[in-house]
Parts: sequence; structure tokens; C-alpha cells
Amino acid sequence: MTQPDPDAPALEGWQRLSPWAMGLLLISGGASLLRQHLPLVAGAGAGLAMVERIGLREMALGGALLLGAALLLSLAYYRRFRFRLDGDLLIICRGLLERREFKVAAEHVQQVEIHQPFYMRPFGLVKWQVETRAGEASRIALPGIRRDVAEALDRRLRPAGGVAKAASEPDEAAAEPARPAPRLRYRITPGALVLHGLASRSVYVIAAMLSPLVRPLERWLHETLPQTTPPAWLPTSAPAAVALGMAALLLGLALLSVLAAWWRFHGYRLHDDDGERQRQVSGLFNRREQVLMLSRLQVVEWVQTGLGRLLRRGYLVCHQFGAAGGAEAEARRFVVPGLGLADGRRLAGVFWPGLAMATPLARVEPLYRRVLFLRMLLALLAAALVGAWLLVGAVLNGESAGDAASGGLALRSLAPGAGPGVLSAVFLVGLGGLTALAALLAQLRWCALGWAREGEYLIVRQGLLGQRTRLFPTGSLVAVEVQQSWLQRRRGVATLHLHLANGPVTLPYLRAERADALANRLLAGVEAEGSAPAPSLR
Amino acid sequence: MSFHNEALDPAALPRWERVALTPVSRRLAPCHALSVMGRWILVAGLVWLFPAPAEELVRWQPAAAGGVLLLGLFLASLGWVEARRRGYALREHDLIYRRGLLVQRSRVLPVARLQHVETLSNPLERGFGLVRLVCFTAGGRGADLVLEGLPAERAEAVKQHLLARVSGTPAPREDGDDPA
Repeated sequence: MTQPDPDAPALEGWQRLSPWAMGLLLISGGASLLRQHLPLVAGAGAGLAMVERIGLREMALGGALLLGAALLLSLAYYRRFRFRLDGDLLIICRGLLERREFKVAAEHVQQVEIHQPFYMRPFGLVKWQVETRAGEASRIALPGIRRDVAEALDRRLRPAGGVAKAASEPDEAAAEPARPAPRLRYRITPGALVLHGLASRSVYVIAAMLSPLVRPLERWLHETLPQTTPPAWLPTSAPAAVALGMAALLLGLALLSVLAAWWRFHGYRLHDDDGERQRQVSGLFNRREQVLMLSRLQVVEWVQTGLGRLLRRGYLVCHQFGAAGGAEAEARRFVVPGLGLADGRRLAGVFWPGLAMATPLARVEPLYRRVLFLRMLLALLAAALVGAWLLVGAVLNGESAGDAASGGLALRSLAPGAGPGVLSAVFLVGLGGLTALAALLAQLRWCALGWAREGEYLIVRQGLLGQRTRLFPTGSLVAVEVQQSWLQRRRGVATLHLHLANGPVTLPYLRAERADALANRLLAGVEAEGSAPAPSLR
Repeated sequence: MSFHNEALDPAALPRWERVALTPVSRRLAPCHALSVMGRWILVAGLVWLFPAPAEELVRWQPAAAGGVLLLGLFLASLGWVEARRRGYALREHDLIYRRGLLVQRSRVLPVARLQHVETLSNPLERGFGLVRLVCFTAGGRGADLVLEGLPAERAEAVKQHLLARVSGTPAPREDGDDPA
């Protein structure tokens, strides 16, 4: 723990949230409630609108009552919410019906975040969040405290040197050398931000979010298009119009994705405060400040989407304990966006000193390529059979149901003039095409999977179009599993599952001796770090 | 952050694959088979009693339920054989657990990563005098290793040993009661 600053606010006594926080709690709580229960609220609103006995006056009265109740609840929540520091222990009491007390020790803090939405700026308030090594479930927030209080909390809960350093270099940690001035490690440029927007996964997330609108839009187009005269610049042919529509859709998605990147990462700066504490600040309207302790870092991921590989762009995701997977969880991680290949390597070397990512990746056994080929061929054949079944069903729809059982008749009905020879040729060409496609996909996936050991670090790359490269020290391993099926035992290969803080990484079809040797090497790495105190929950 | 790059002799590293595993209790096999069979009896009962959508299907329901029972019997037999082959080992720095018949899985959990350990047992396991040892690591969303088929006393001894290692105190050891 660092020495308290004499100018910093005293936090030993019980502190309350800022009085302004009450209104902000009301706004954010209401918005959160609406967002979480939108279908319920919409349904209740529609139900009320259908009841004739409830007019505008009754609805206004009900709204006022609800608002009053919400105000009273916010006031009660504000009055019961208090926090204080007891040495290096942060104590938080909160709760309306159920009183809860949280205690967070400085040594267990793994990440601190400060959010400042635009509506908090005029009041000088921030939302301060802390996450312990128990993971995201342990995240606790102080919603609406003054910035100087947040900064004082940040200073007081900062570990002196980190667990790893304290364990490995006790003399150095005890000496407490003077902290160097913060260094700017990386600053995003507008061009890099645009490229990050295009290359990030936001495109797919936005497309998935907008997908429920497709049906209503289609219905609306069906109803309105026949009654409107198309503008002169619109192509008259249907295929050209469809292509133009698709291009406009893709352009719109790309634009939204770039806007999302600007919203989240505008003005991104990464500072190295003292070699241990990495601080990033970003956000257009919602200013977000995240602090990462390098001694708490477990895995760094270098992520490149398919488009990102074309644009030679990627981003780094830093994982600590308790990191959940998925795009939504990834957004809450410590992300370094808009990196070129050289910047990615340089910053990976900052997070993991000594790692250059220069070692060529080794491939797994070629047997895995054959297994992949068989799996993909089976999947493609199954998809083709289902497709053919649906097509034949559509052709025979309305015809004799008894004839539908005959596959030959159905195929002949697709191509009335075709003889059995032509149909056989079509079947063989289709089978050949599927086989070639399966072989190509298997080859690409096999080539994409690679691993290497560089010093005390392990590098594992996976992915077909988009690729993820996990970089982690051998001491970051949580558990290891060696799996062998009957076929693998016969062929002398094994699959290695490496369980890390952010989930498992699989290295399939390694030579069994190599898999065992790697597992032994990784376990030795954990044991070497095992002399450090075992990580514990708060 | 400090940087270490010490040279290690791969041939001199302890090899997990050469560790002689201790078989789990022989009582696990009937317990596991009964547990599997119980689930399949439930499925067979549902197949038999579930209202069939068509009249023709009703007469086939007993046969379908019988088929499900036969499948359950086959899987329970496999479960029996599989449970007899399970084994575990407790080394100075890690816990090893092997399971699986056609697909064998050996998991090694370093003690340095352990967060806490607990023992669980359902009524069937209690009937056979067995206990499950569940090991959790930091920040995990669930158990990282579940060691099934330990007699209650042995499970308690292993648990105490692991907890002592986690807390850094000497492991309690009874005379002649080696947890491994």
C-alpha cells in the first residue's frame, strides 16, 4: 500500500455518495430497469392503452406515483450507501431491503475503472468500480463520487509492487525505489480508429442487434414499394437493385461500426505509470479510465478478425482472473485497439517483457488435418442432403404425395429432360466439389493452428478467417488436461487442454511424448511460481 | 514486472505420465452404474407414459421404452467398467485425476492454483460411503476438478492435505494414512 497523500481527502471515516448521485442513480437505475425489462414495460403500456377506463389523467397520476416511489427509494438507497477505508481495506455498506457489507483488501484488487458519462461531468462526479481476483462477479461500484475521492481511493488501494514482484524480488520490493514518471505507451490516431471500427467485431455485433428489424422492414417494403415510383437513379434491373441494396447495407453497418469505435475509443491513450500499473483513458461522451496491474495479468490475446487480417490490423485483450468469454465480456476487458502488426508486437513485449513473438509457430500432427477433413466432409454432406431434401420437397409440393418418396422421380422432376447419366454426373460433380471444399477448409484450419514456446512464454494461434493468438507465461496455467481417444492412442497422439484464467486453449493432435513433455514443462512453470502466495478471493 | 529466463533440463522435469495412480474405491462402479441406470429408467418411463400424438404410436410405446432401457443398461455397463479404471494421484505440487474409457482424460491441477476444496455427496453416494472432492481455483466459474469415488475418510484426508498446502501450513498426516 502506498503512503497516504496529506492533501487527499480523508477516507477513514464513513463517506457518502455525492448528493447529486441521488438524481443520477434515479436516471441510471430507471434506464437500466427499462433496458432489462423492455418487453414487460411495452406489454404493460399496451395493456393500459387498451383499457378504456384508464385515461390520460389516470396515467399521469400513476406516473407521478411511480416517480415519487422511485425518488423515495433512491433517497433510501443514498442514505444507506456508505463506504470508508480501514487501513488498506475498503468497506462498503449498501442495500435497501437486504443490508450488505463488502470488504475489499488492496492486495486482492486486480482492476480499477473510473467512468464519467457526459451527464456526470457538470457535477464533477465519476462512477468508480473495482474488481478483485474473484472475477467479474466480484465487481463493486461506487456510483457517483467526486473525482478527487476516486483518485484517492485508487492511490490507497494500489498494491506496492504486486504479488509476483514481492515474491520474486523481496529486496527490490522492500527497497521501494522511486516511481518513474508515467510514460505514454500508445495513442490512437483517427485513421487507426476508423480502421479498428472496420476491422473489429462490432460489425457482426451490430448486424446481430439489427437482425430482428429485417422482417418488419421486408413487410414494409412489400407494402410500400408497389405504390411508389422508383427514383430515376435506381437501376431498373432487379439484380442490380439487390446488389445496390446489399452494398448500402454493408456500408451502413461499416459506418455504424466506425461510430461505435469512436464512441468507445476516442482519444485512447495508454500510459505506463510505474512499470507495473498500466492506465488507459478513452471515450467520446462516456470517459472511461481503466487500470491494469501487470502482476495480475494472466493472458494477453492478439486478435485479428478476417477483415482485420486484410487491413493488417488487430487489437490486444488483456485477461486477468475470472475473465468471462464472449464479445460482451471482452468489451469490459483491458483492450488496446487499432494496432498495426508492429505496434501489436511492441505492446505485447510491454505486457510480457522478453516476448518478441518472433519464434515460428509449430504445426500439430498432419493426422489432425485428416480428422478435420472427415469432419467437414460429413458436415457438408449432411448440409447438402438437407438442402436437396428441401429443394425436392419444394418441387414436389402440390404434386402427388406418394411420388415424393421416389428420389429419382423427384430429381427428374427438377430437370425434366435429363437422363440417369446426366443426373449421375451432376451427383459426382457435386460430391467432388464438396470434397475439394472440405479439403481446402481442413488445410486452412490446420495451417492456422500453431504454437510455440518462446522463453518462459507459450504462444497459441487458432482461427480460420479471424485469428486469436494467446500469449501467456507458463506460470499462468490453471490446470492441464491430456486427452486421448481410442484412435489417438493407436496413433500415438494426444490433445492438450490448457485451462487458463480466461478459459481453455486446446492443442489437438500433438505427438503423445511432446504433449506430455509440454504438460510437464508447464506444470514446472506453475510450481516455480508456486512459491508465491496462492491467489485468494477477497 | 520481473523477467526470468532460467534454463531447465526437460529430461529432469518430474513426469506426470509416470506417476502410478491410485484406483478410486471399487464401490464407485456399482454406484455410478446405478446412477446412470436410474436416469435411463426415468427416460424410459417418460417414453412409455408420455401421451402419443397418434393412435398407431401408442402400441409402440412399450417397445420404445424397452429399447431405451436396453440402451441405459448398455451405458450403465460401460459406466461400471469406466469407473473401475479411474485413478488419482496426489503429488507434492499437484493433484492428478484420470477418467474415461474410450476417451481417456487426465487432468493435473497444480496445488498453487487451488482456491478452496470441498466435499460433496448425494444420498446414493452416501449409501455406498463415497464422497466427491471438488477443487476450485481463483476466479473460476465452476469446479476445476471433481474427484469422484473416494471413501469418506480418504476424501477428508486429501481435503485436509490440500487445504494445508493452500494455507502454507504443514499437512496434517495421520500415522500410516498416506492420502495418496
